[in-house]
Amino acid sequence: MKNILTTMKTLLVLLVLGSCSDSYLDVNVDPNNPISVSPDLILPVALNYTAGLEERDRGQNHLGNMFMGAWSQSDGFSWYNDEFLYLVTPSFYQRIFDTTYGTILKQYKGLEVLEGAQYGNYQAISKIMQAMHFQILVDTYGDVPYSEALQRGGNPTPKYDDAETIYDSLVNQLTDAISLITATADVTGALVPGDDDGVFNGDMTKWKQFANSLKLRILVRQSDLAGKSTYIQEQFNAINAEGSGYMTDDVTINIGYSQTESQQNPKWNGFGEDVSGTKTLTNNATCATPYVLDRLTSTNDGRLDLLFEKPGTGHLGVVQGLQEYDSPVVDQYVPDLVSNIGPGILKGPNQDAVIYTAAEAYFNLAEAALKGFIANDAQTMYESGITASFDYLGASGASNYYAQNIPTVGWAASTNKLEAIIVQKWLGVMGINALQSWFDFNRTGYPSDVPMSLLSTKPNRPVRLAYPSSELTANSNNLPTQQDVFSSKIFWAN
Amino acid sequence: MKTKLRIILTLFLAFTVQLSFAQQLTVTGNVTDDSGMPLIGATIAIAGTSTGTSSDFDGNYSIKANQGDVLSFSYVGYTTQDVTVGESSTINVTLLADNTLEEVVVTAYGIQRQKKTLTYQAEAVGSKELMKVAPTRAASALAGKVAGMQINVQSNGVNPTTQILLRGLRSISQNNSALIVIDGSVASQGAFDALNPNDIESINVLKGATAAALYGSAASNGAILVETKSGEDGGAFKIGITTANTMESVAYLPKFQSEYGTGWQGVYDPVENTNWGPRFDGTLRQIGPTFPENYPLQTQMVPYAPVENNLLDFYNTGNTLQNTLYASGSSEGSSFYMSVGNQTTSGIVPNDTYDRNTFRVNASKKLGNLTLKLASNYIRDKQSVVGSTIGDQDRTLYWFVLNTPANIPLSQYSDWSNPEGYGYADNYYNAYYQNPYWAIGTNRVNSNSSRLTANISASWDISESTNFTTRLGVNTGNGGGKNWRAAQTYNEDLQPAHSAVSSFVTDYESSFITYTTDAILSTKFDITKDIDVIALLGATNKTQKSRSSTIAVTNISIPGFYDVSNGTGQPVVSVDESVKKSYGVFSDFTFGYKDYLFLNLAGRYDFTSTLPSGDNSYFYPYAGLSFVATDAIPSITNGALSYLKTTLSNSTVYNDLGPYLNNETFGQSTGFPFGNLNGFFQTGTAVDSSLTKEKINTTEFGVNAAFFNNRLTIDAAYYLTNSTDLITFTTPSLSSGASSFLTNIGEVEGKGYELTIGGTILKATDFSWDVNVNYTANEQKVKSISEGVNEITITSDGEVGIFAIVGEDFPQMKATSYQRDPQGRVIIDAASGNPQVGELKNMGKTTPDYILGLTSTVNYKNFSLSATMDYRTGHVYYEQGSDAMEFTGRSLESVSANRQDFVFPNSVVETSPGVFVPNTNIPITDGKQDYWTNTYNEIKENYVKDATAFKIREVALNYTIPADVLKKTPVSSVNIGFIGRNLFTWLPAENHFSDPEFNNSNSNAIGIGGYFQSPPTRSYGFSVNIEF
Repeated sequence: MKNILTTMKTLLVLLVLGSCSDSYLDVNVDPNNPISVSPDLILPVALNYTAGLEERDRGQNHLGNMFMGAWSQSDGFSWYNDEFLYLVTPSFYQRIFDTTYGTILKQYKGLEVLEGAQYGNYQAISKIMQAMHFQILVDTYGDVPYSEALQRGGNPTPKYDDAETIYDSLVNQLTDAISLITATADVTGALVPGDDDGVFNGDMTKWKQFANSLKLRILVRQSDLAGKSTYIQEQFNAINAEGSGYMTDDVTINIGYSQTESQQNPKWNGFGEDVSGTKTLTNNATCATPYVLDRLTSTNDGRLDLLFEKPGTGHLGVVQGLQEYDSPVVDQYVPDLVSNIGPGILKGPNQDAVIYTAAEAYFNLAEAALKGFIANDAQTMYESGITASFDYLGASGASNYYAQNIPTVGWAASTNKLEAIIVQKWLGVMGINALQSWFDFNRTGYPSDVPMSLLSTKPNRPVRLAYPSSELTANSNNLPTQQDVFSSKIFWAN
Repeated sequence: MKTKLRIILTLFLAFTVQLSFAQQLTVTGNVTDDSGMPLIGATIAIAGTSTGTSSDFDGNYSIKANQGDVLSFSYVGYTTQDVTVGESSTINVTLLADNTLEEVVVTAYGIQRQKKTLTYQAEAVGSKELMKVAPTRAASALAGKVAGMQINVQSNGVNPTTQILLRGLRSISQNNSALIVIDGSVASQGAFDALNPNDIESINVLKGATAAALYGSAASNGAILVETKSGEDGGAFKIGITTANTMESVAYLPKFQSEYGTGWQGVYDPVENTNWGPRFDGTLRQIGPTFPENYPLQTQMVPYAPVENNLLDFYNTGNTLQNTLYASGSSEGSSFYMSVGNQTTSGIVPNDTYDRNTFRVNASKKLGNLTLKLASNYIRDKQSVVGSTIGDQDRTLYWFVLNTPANIPLSQYSDWSNPEGYGYADNYYNAYYQNPYWAIGTNRVNSNSSRLTANISASWDISESTNFTTRLGVNTGNGGGKNWRAAQTYNEDLQPAHSAVSSFVTDYESSFITYTTDAILSTKFDITKDIDVIALLGATNKTQKSRSSTIAVTNISIPGFYDVSNGTGQPVVSVDESVKKSYGVFSDFTFGYKDYLFLNLAGRYDFTSTLPSGDNSYFYPYAGLSFVATDAIPSITNGALSYLKTTLSNSTVYNDLGPYLNNETFGQSTGFPFGNLNGFFQTGTAVDSSLTKEKINTTEFGVNAAFFNNRLTIDAAYYLTNSTDLITFTTPSLSSGASSFLTNIGEVEGKGYELTIGGTILKATDFSWDVNVNYTANEQKVKSISEGVNEITITSDGEVGIFAIVGEDFPQMKATSYQRDPQGRVIIDAASGNPQVGELKNMGKTTPDYILGLTSTVNYKNFSLSATMDYRTGHVYYEQGSDAMEFTGRSLESVSANRQDFVFPNSVVETSPGVFVPNTNIPITDGKQDYWTNTYNEIKENYVKDATAFKIREVALNYTIPADVLKKTPVSSVNIGFIGRNLFTWLPAENHFSDPEFNNSNSNAIGIGGYFQSPPTRSYGFSVNIEF
């Protein structure tokens, strides 16, 4: 049998060799898609992804505003039930996990793996942006894949790393990135990004400062952790010693947003208008809560009309989870009558996408100063934060505002300084990077009076998200047990 | 080209020569079988001429002939008998049955073989069985007729698409559809669907890889060999016309509640698309906006009561008219068949139309020991259907129909273009979704395509026992179309909640060409007195090329002008090209021992362009054995058993990749370039650097038996398939930075049984009853995937999806489930009383455990009544539509507790970890709406339904006008049929939504369907066939 087959095979091969040449089959080069591209073509796409996840509808900022009592839902929509129910299932906002790894980090990793000293700047930018995303992942999920992540086919099922270990490694990554930028300055022929760097347009010093601001975010987030203060102090000292300083302008991404299909700023595209200038449904659907309007009004906050659009009939918010929209008055909460997202947040189709506000940087510095890690004056930092927030929104009267004798507004009037910092940070990231305020709430409990949704059957809001269903399917052997999302806090909040 | 034309001309000339008649006497008589039963449709031809006729229903015939002419009486399955015309004008003939199982069948590459030498199982379906109900697509007419075959429908519109599966799914990521071969050349599902079914002579189904091994990789899923009509058996010259006209109407819509109407949270709301209002009370209530004074329309008032058939009335009765004009004929050494066909269809969706013209020329000519053949088919079609991205939410039409509350008289809103009509955008009652009539008028896809499938072959009989055949086939086509949507803005006072709809125009073109060339040398010789050999040596080559391009623009400037020049902003442009080449050589030896034992050894060596050059060729063998017991031991042929054959075969087939898949690539990112700034993203698919071919091994055991003089036949097969190194898009953790990983993994094991029983139950003068029953049972189990990976996602939205899971049947459905205690009771939340959303749980397989098909034909005199039905069971499907309808409050479930809070039946509360106490008093929360739209709707298990279905697919009543009535007319036969398709469907009570056969995709993601298709339909009408 075997012999017959072998003979047959030999005969056939001879027949083929006589008839066909090798090059005949040489047609498998993809004419539609390149197999390698230069880093200046990779970076702007990665930045655009980062901006998208932060700013798009049902992105990071959106969730933060829903969880932290800022945004609610107008009549005529039934869009935010899951948010109001705190229905944190594996599919709830799984985009934060799935898109971060599967789209964003994948793209940045493509820069980090470039071989050659001339790519040092791109590698450093990649490390910095990866660190920013990994921190958000840890703050949202706790333990996540890190050391074995992003190897694509090389490791299809990465293991999960301890959250605190990842935190420490991120600080090191940022240190490495700064050193790499320094070293690359001396490399002849090193590539310096230009327009493709939609953050700093190739200003590598600013990248160093941004790296330090990210360290600041990481260090402050775990600053209440028992036994960590020595480490934190060492790290702050190292930042001081390195000397680049912190980034105290808004860190933004803009790769050339314009009023063109698929080229609008993602927040404007989702919450503002479509390219034809028509308000989106999400714009109609989303509005203020009475809670946030009351707080802004009662503290004479000049940011009120910029955070929320003022209807002709005056500001009106909808309680989260309201079901009886038409009671007692029919159509009282239709989009035209409620305070939708305001002009300080929705500026236009070409507005910058913000990934780290100057206000937040100042409030982080204020907290670090308050806790004695840095020498800055906490009050100055606090007030600079408020000013930066007013500036971003286009509001005036910051100094009059923080001069008021109102707790959590005026520094002197605030007996609990940390509460004042966190409450102001909540306002400083509201509508911009609001997920940060949810992390701070989980850590500090401030602002302490954010009401629960009417639909909630739980004693408190979630303190983490559930691991996504994609991981249940694709990485079940490594996936840790799902934690109780209402009680199992991230390590820095314990 | 010139040579080709000359050949065609030569062939035609040959046919036109012999159409002359002399003065003759009329011979009449009767043709019967050995039991005295009349043989209907037996061919009576005058040998050496082109004159012929056929017997009528009583077996009677009449033919004009000269004394001394030889009349040749033939009938399929019977031995041909020649009788010389003498002085008598009456000749009665009794034909003796052939052993039917010794008939010659068409196998791979058009090679004809005696059926008893086949070492595998194949099943043929003839033209008559196919055409009973005048289908527009041959594939749909195969359903229920062939054991081992499953036909799935992706869309049931005016131009339906289907998927043909033989023996289930063997590969997780790769194509599992059967190979289509038309007239010996590899074609495609598209070419099969484009065929005019009237042109089909027969379809031979090679069910397993063992049968199709000579086709190589392409045939790992079995093959459908289509032979079109040649004119060879039709006598001298024949012209015929077949006309069929069928009506199509909605068979059934989902069963909805009709107790509650328009509203939200129990409160009446005149502009809602949802049914969460108060209970119907029959009072006159406002619907739609309140119109200001002096507005041309009165504010609309309708009774708050359900409108019967309010959705059904939206749909039209569709109509399909098919005409085929054909001519065929044969004379010594030459034959031809040509046809012109036209199909004109209007659909159940208003304004949906489809038109198709088909042209076929088949011809053959024998010149000495060389036979030339041509088979050619040109098809042009044109289609206009409603778009599938309607409104500001890009929904399909069915969505808008379903989002109509029970108290809305939908069919009254067809006046969408009249600013003073209630159907007009600003006046429409629904504040959230658009008027479906508006959608039909403003969202269109208009497309057309043309296709040429042709092959020419030359067969040279080098000697009595040696033949060389070469064939060149081409399947080429191109198509294009335009998809457009008009913009719609709304008056802010009348429609404050409506979001404007943006406009777009998408223009696309595509073309493809597939060439195949084959060359086969075959020879027969005897090794010893008892052993003979048939040997084949062949080579084949296939080149596939395709190209498609799309230009899409948005926000057009001039309303109603749908050209891409009219767009604003940056057009989105894409062009895709691909080429795949492969060639193979094969040999095939069949050793026959004393004409009852046959050993078949074959092998094929394949070369492909899509695998890395070091690893792009592979050899695979086939071995089979056939034993005809009744020939070996004639003594076992007694009164009962007339034929017995067993077969055993094994083959290995390797599969390659699609083009360009062996490299990771980048693609231009959406929105780029931003000005001069271009950007590329790394695609989500990671590729294993050591990617190689996948292997499918099949073993088949078959029995073919006949009893009672072939009145009862039984064909049975048992097979095992084992697929390893499956080329699979596995699902890595997204944290790997890849969303899919193309690699070789695991093992899928399949097994199944097929049984076909055919027989004549009753046979008497003027009456006969034939029944064919086929049974198919198939299961595919995933044995392993890879280290650390237990499942692969085929498709999933995170809440429901199709998966390949180790140890489970493939494909497997998973959905979010109820959290249950160890006893299976539903765990409720102590605070709300609501059940809780559990993890994704296995819900069952999505292909049937078994399919039972039955065709029954009753003949009485000149009437013939036949029916085909099938029953599928043992699988589940996900009712996407009823999931969507939960939100709108139209589901039957949403009124099951009268919209009150209720204690969830048989539920428990977890009082402390692991302790479950029956819940007798905590009711669910917000039974008036939120329980249903939130909690119940989150548990997708609720929408996974038993996919069992019993369908009467075809019913036909045919009447043949007796031959003696037609004697004095030029007409030779007239057949009139009353036909029905899908007249009846039985579904289990829990599936009150749609046809579980519907699928959104023609990939391996079988089992998800519902609202992307139109509702299921039934057709009925008549057909007439007249021959001259």
